[in-house]
Amino acid sequence: QEFRRVFFLFLLKIICSLILEAPLAAQSSAMVSLHLVPRLIALLLLLPGRIRSSSPVFNSLLSDLQGDPELEERCRDLLRDFGRRYESYVKCAVPSARPVRICENCHIQFEMLRVVYNNISSDQADPENCRDSLLRADRLMLVYMLFQNLEDVWDVAHCSQCLSGDGLSNITLRYMAKLNQSLSCFESQKNNHSELCRVCRADYKDLNEFYSIMEKNQTLCIDIEDSMNATRRLWSKDFNCSFPREETVPVIAVSSFMLFLPIIFYLSSFLHSEQKKRRLIHPKRAKSNNSLMNIQDKHS
Amino acid sequence: MANITKRVSWSSLCEDRAPGEGTALLDDTPGARRCRRQEFSGGSLFRIGRLSTIDLDEEVTSKEETLKQPNEIPHNEKLLSLKYESLDYDNIENQLFLEEEGQMSPMGFKCVEISRWVICGLIGFLTGLIACFIDIVVEIVAAYKYKIVKRYIDQFVVEGGLCASVILWAILNSAFVMAGSLVVAIFEPIAAGSGIPQIKCYLNGVKIPRVVRLKTLVVKVFGVICSVVGGLAVGKEGPMIHSGAVVAAGVSQGRSTSLKKDLKIFEYFRRDTEKRDFVSAGAAAGVSAAFGAPVGGVLFSLEEGASFWNQMLTWRIFFASMISTFTLNFFRSIYNGNPGELANPGLINFGQFESGAYKLYEIPIFICMGAVGGVLGAGFNALNYWLTIFRIRYIHRSYLQVIEAILAAAATATVSYILMYCSDDCQTPGEHQAVEYPLQLFCPDGQHNSIATVFFNTPERSVRNLFHNFPGSYNSLTLFLFTFTYFFLACWTYGLTVSAGVFIPSLLLGAAWGRLIGNLLTNSGVSIFADPGKYALMGAAAQLGGIVRMTLSLTVIMVEATGNVTYGLPIMLVLMTSKIVGDYFAEGLYDIHIKLQSVPFLGWEAPATSHSFTAREVMSSPVMCFNRTEKVGTIVDVLSNTSAKHNGFPIVSDFTTNEPGRICGLILRSQLIVLLKHKVFVERAQLKQRKLLLKDFRDAYPRFPPIQSIHVSQDERECTMDLTEFMNPTPYTVPQETSLPRVFKLFRALGLRHLVVVDNENRVVGLVTRKDLARYHLGKHGLEELQLAQT
Repeated sequence: QEFRRVFFLFLLKIICSLILEAPLAAQSSAMVSLHLVPRLIALLLLLPGRIRSSSPVFNSLLSDLQGDPELEERCRDLLRDFGRRYESYVKCAVPSARPVRICENCHIQFEMLRVVYNNISSDQADPENCRDSLLRADRLMLVYMLFQNLEDVWDVAHCSQCLSGDGLSNITLRYMAKLNQSLSCFESQKNNHSELCRVCRADYKDLNEFYSIMEKNQTLCIDIEDSMNATRRLWSKDFNCSFPREETVPVIAVSSFMLFLPIIFYLSSFLHSEQKKRRLIHPKRAKSNNSLMNIQDKHS
Repeated sequence: MANITKRVSWSSLCEDRAPGEGTALLDDTPGARRCRRQEFSGGSLFRIGRLSTIDLDEEVTSKEETLKQPNEIPHNEKLLSLKYESLDYDNIENQLFLEEEGQMSPMGFKCVEISRWVICGLIGFLTGLIACFIDIVVEIVAAYKYKIVKRYIDQFVVEGGLCASVILWAILNSAFVMAGSLVVAIFEPIAAGSGIPQIKCYLNGVKIPRVVRLKTLVVKVFGVICSVVGGLAVGKEGPMIHSGAVVAAGVSQGRSTSLKKDLKIFEYFRRDTEKRDFVSAGAAAGVSAAFGAPVGGVLFSLEEGASFWNQMLTWRIFFASMISTFTLNFFRSIYNGNPGELANPGLINFGQFESGAYKLYEIPIFICMGAVGGVLGAGFNALNYWLTIFRIRYIHRSYLQVIEAILAAAATATVSYILMYCSDDCQTPGEHQAVEYPLQLFCPDGQHNSIATVFFNTPERSVRNLFHNFPGSYNSLTLFLFTFTYFFLACWTYGLTVSAGVFIPSLLLGAAWGRLIGNLLTNSGVSIFADPGKYALMGAAAQLGGIVRMTLSLTVIMVEATGNVTYGLPIMLVLMTSKIVGDYFAEGLYDIHIKLQSVPFLGWEAPATSHSFTAREVMSSPVMCFNRTEKVGTIVDVLSNTSAKHNGFPIVSDFTTNEPGRICGLILRSQLIVLLKHKVFVERAQLKQRKLLLKDFRDAYPRFPPIQSIHVSQDERECTMDLTEFMNPTPYTVPQETSLPRVFKLFRALGLRHLVVVDNENRVVGLVTRKDLARYHLGKHGLEELQLAQT
């Protein structure tokens, strides 16, 4: 066993040096022997394949060579757990994308995912802990990035604003009750729009005002915003219950009166106000020899 | 040569002269009896004003007639007012001054230098504080107003009765504007407008009455708050510059004449020379506080007052500007609840442009926008010019002015309302741009009226919205309508009797049409024009440049307010184009207003075609002169002659009756008044306890009492005064043959007030003053001559 390990290590070294140094040498040195060229070309062709290929030998060797397999196993469990929960969250989130119900439907899954991620990131056992080996060991930091993306989504959605403890907050539940009331009213009257506008106005107004209060208190999450937007669209566009522009005549009358006032003002001041006159002063000047010549003559 | 006024003893002068009677020119006052005047051969007179708009042919036929019937003409821009005098920028190096300077130790000079720095720091601090005060008050009161109006509009949309909300809005606006306008019209008319033309004149060397008084500052600040809150198309940036200047003039004197409080400090600075330097620092501090542009402020002072300038002054002014923007920043951070977070350097902040750089192929578009800005700016100025002439001629009573302002406020509200009412442009608020006072009106729920975000807001915020709201926030029709109406509103508003500036309305106007162009480019299907906000910025620069025609300082101000040096080149190109195009059609707005106020403003250089004039044709002649020792009665009579209110009197010696005397000095009216007040008579020398010091002159500065308030008894009239000690023994003189451009250069570079014209034997033949030079002006048909008028 020991011998094999040393041997593979040696082999690995050789391969690495071949891969890494040979092309470098070829580039840097102008005195490359001609017989080396085919080999170099072969190596260069092989190069991308070697790095990308996930040959089991290569990987298991690497992991075998790195540290304690027992610790690795513990981390592997965490990683598997993370994967399962990630999957269940995504499975929940994607169907909730339209109409957006992500906060309401998936907060449990997200909480579980967060727990396992916290486990990983708080694992700091010396010397080789799972935090370092799972989260920071490479440039990609895949686990970290996957979770970070989801957390960003969660933040942008403001989901935490309508959750409290391990469920929806009270205010969210109240909002939903009001929403359902309005929607059921819409449902009952959907054949007659003008009737709908009249009957459901109270419910809708109540909902709208409640929403405005929530907006002010910043207790909105994307679910609520989206449902409210949809309801408003229904109300304004589909049912056409917005306020009509009814008072055009009085508004125009009042405005034109207001705009007429300045015209009267300017006219009257033009006609009645005396024009301001300026008294000219004639300064004392020396009588010049070419006195009767005025300036224009001088310059024309 | 007729002698019109009867010779009266001085004591009876006051009662005899009914208002308006003393208009005739006095050619032979008792004081001038010994004044030698050069009689030139010929006898016919030099014609003046032939080319001005008024045909003077009938008048010039005989001087006799001219004297008897001073002609009256309607106000126009080709006049020079007698109201304005020069600053005494040139030091009076008389014996007293030399003695005092001689007594000062090198340490003393260092202390003076240090106190200059201290004053500049104070100027910056106080200016920043005032800016902060205006800003916060406007913010609070405007928020209150908009909340009320919004509540009512929202309510009336539901319940009906929208015309009531128009009236409510109009009345609220009018009430604020009325308050502001009343204060301005009644207490201090000079505080009307932006104040930049006045400060420009002051820095040019013209003493505008009451322009740097404490009362003006108070009225200005109050007026600005009222007019901005009143929803007029105005900004608070221009008045900041005026406020800074007043602060500077006040602080540097160490006392307030209005409050009758003298702190007995900074007495060394009580003269026009020092005061003007500090005023330029104050103006810079004002610009700096207004735009968060300290360098722009320094350059503004440089551009407007560069004729008398030195390096140390630049450095000090920069210091004042920095302190001012820092103070504003600091106090605003306290107000915003996070002290020490210095994020708001100016009253207006253009904000960061996220899209960052511009592309090379956009530069030609920017230049075209500059041309558009120039044309629009020239149109704006031309319209405003006619409006201002109309205002000066017909709306000169203060109650009419207040009514006009009120009507303008009501009309502004109404027009905005109509546009909002008719607009179908509805927008959903984005994630990162909270609309401050969203008005829904007839939009679907959850959306707001797009045009309301520009009209239903303070202009500063509207500008920022136009710069930064994401593409598609405004549709093109909205922007067009806004530009169209706001152009006329802003043009109408500038020149009302309210204190308010034109910077922000210009920026807003330009930002609107700039964004319109940006919108059109974005919608053209070519995806390379991404960000309409950038075009809004260039449009704003172009429009502002087209209206005010500032060059260097405006570029730097815009760049600093944007906080992005990469925009320097396009902004410069835009401003250049707009200035060139604009100058082709009309003058800059400030220049127009300076002209309309008949201020004797001296340009950078003499008019191009004026080389053929010599000092002899330019000068006033004959000159009132005094002897070294002069009779008190003579002096009093000359000073109290209202028809020829001279300010400088050459002192001459060895004269004969008909020969001009040799010059040996120059004395100012203000000095004579102080001498008379202290009764420095030769005959009373024994009674006087102490010698008159320079301090006595400084204490009387800057409001020297009028001659009428000084009582001189019959006895005293017979006394004599020895002027040798007080006169400036080395006044600047030029020979008669000096050309006008040369005289002009001397005048402008040294900041002179009087320039004595002498003949070969150093005899006084004439006196050139600012008004003699400023009357030549290059008009459309060559050189024109402005007329002097009583205003």
